[in-house]
Amino acid sequence: MGEHRITPYLFVGAASIYLILFTSIPLLRGFWFSFTDSFLLVPTEGKFIGLANYRRILGDSAFYSSLWTTILYTFIVVVGAVSLGLIAAIAINEKLPGRAVFRSMLTVPWAVPGVSVVLVFNWMYNYDSGVANQVTQALGIGQKGWLIDPSLGMFAVTFASIWKVFPFIMLVVLAALQSVPEELREASQVDGADRFSSFKTVVIPHLMPTIRVASLLMTIWSIRRFEIIYLLTGGGPSGATNTIVINVYKQAFESSELGRAAALGILGLLLSLSVTIVYFSVDRKNAKKETL
Amino acid sequence: MKRNIPVKILRWIFVFLLASFAIFPIYWMYNTSLTPLGGLFEGQNLIPPVQNSLEIFNVFFTEVPIWRWLRNSAVVALGTTISSLAMAILAAYGLSRFRFFGKGILGFALFATQMLPEALLIVPMYALFMGLGLLDGYTGLVLANTAFVMPVAVWIIKSAMDGIPYEIEEAARVDGTRRLAMLTQIMIPLTAPSIAAASVIVFFDGWNDFLFASTFVTSSEKWLATVGLASFLGEFVTPLATVFSAALVFTIPPIVFFLIMQRQIISGLTSGSVKG
Repeated sequence: MGEHRITPYLFVGAASIYLILFTSIPLLRGFWFSFTDSFLLVPTEGKFIGLANYRRILGDSAFYSSLWTTILYTFIVVVGAVSLGLIAAIAINEKLPGRAVFRSMLTVPWAVPGVSVVLVFNWMYNYDSGVANQVTQALGIGQKGWLIDPSLGMFAVTFASIWKVFPFIMLVVLAALQSVPEELREASQVDGADRFSSFKTVVIPHLMPTIRVASLLMTIWSIRRFEIIYLLTGGGPSGATNTIVINVYKQAFESSELGRAAALGILGLLLSLSVTIVYFSVDRKNAKKETL
Repeated sequence: MKRNIPVKILRWIFVFLLASFAIFPIYWMYNTSLTPLGGLFEGQNLIPPVQNSLEIFNVFFTEVPIWRWLRNSAVVALGTTISSLAMAILAAYGLSRFRFFGKGILGFALFATQMLPEALLIVPMYALFMGLGLLDGYTGLVLANTAFVMPVAVWIIKSAMDGIPYEIEEAARVDGTRRLAMLTQIMIPLTAPSIAAASVIVFFDGWNDFLFASTFVTSSEKWLATVGLASFLGEFVTPLATVFSAALVFTIPPIVFFLIMQRQIISGLTSGSVKG
């Protein structure tokens, strides 16, 4: 080709160096911090203290309740958003009057900034005058402390999160639905399959790869979600929504314990990493099955 | 396909309810911004008492410095867009058109950034920017946001470039066109819709950023809109109508741009993420 070997590196060089400087090195540094007793005001003057941070975190029951909260939050948001997104995509896939307008309306939550989501949900969840309690009172259930009652905090936060993210699933599934080969569907209907069973045997398998990847992304995003939880409940009421990420932030910027925050962050990263590894190994197995 | 009318009507009603659910919180922001203080606490009406929607723009004449906040946000968002796209377009071209040592590692690194919690990286980034004297300024914010969103832009643009046949470039190469010229004169124009979609995503990532903005910037005159708006939470001085007018003025631009670009954004995200 007569092209020099370094040509590709001229194109990817800037991005690669950038990722090394602002992602890899901070990550390694965070890893290093996790073995020190660094403090917020003088982050670089921490002493090496070995595994002390990890030992302290893993010996504290607070970590396990935070881990459980993270898993619970992630599970509810992923299941909720995937189901709602799937239902919305299927409902809007066929022609109906006003379809374009409805699709735009259903896309809106995804474009709304997290801070705006928090402002409006905070107001809707308001104990005395929020619309949520106007509704519950009209239904005769009475006022609920959506953001005050520890048993409702998780519901309040996951509901707002699902509202914000389900359009992503809907749009991705909608794109996949439009690529279902028409002949496949028709063929199964000629065979006498009714709509529902043709849906089950033709459409759902076609959608599965998309749903799997979208669920993985949604899981990873949920594990690291910050602002909706932090601003809506701050991890409360009484720790009900205190996920690992919220904990990391509080340790670092409220307790100034950078070392411990970093160790906690590494443990959170391990959680995302294990989800991804499990996903890819399951995916490989499925891919094998499908080719057989 | 013949289907009975009642099923169709039921489905329409179902979709209508779903769409109303999706839009309701935004409608409620709008409703609240047009409801005077008294009306809020004795049960807010479903229809706001003030019918003139343009009243939300009165927020620009209140003591809330929304104008300054929006300008600050726009500066950070624009900086993030320029730095992300410049690197992403080059990298996307390199990944799409060459085989080279380290390609797999780079591809993995781009995906892996999606896994990193900002809350973990913010600690070493804080230390780094403190050392560089970049705290309490916008450069640090642009650098931090770019690190997280530039990979997404690479994904989207690379998948668009993958769809452009090699022959187009081969034909151009005969004319002796150099690689960089090929990128600027052929690939960028051909992938313009995806680049536009990536720009929208990147711009509003900077616009929406709260975590970095609230941690790295301390003086209130440099606040971004996200931090300014969040400061209203738990504060009971500013009238809610003003708070939500400000929130709306901040929320409308991303909604408008995402809706305009939805087709390109989705095709970019799906091909980029589904094919990995």
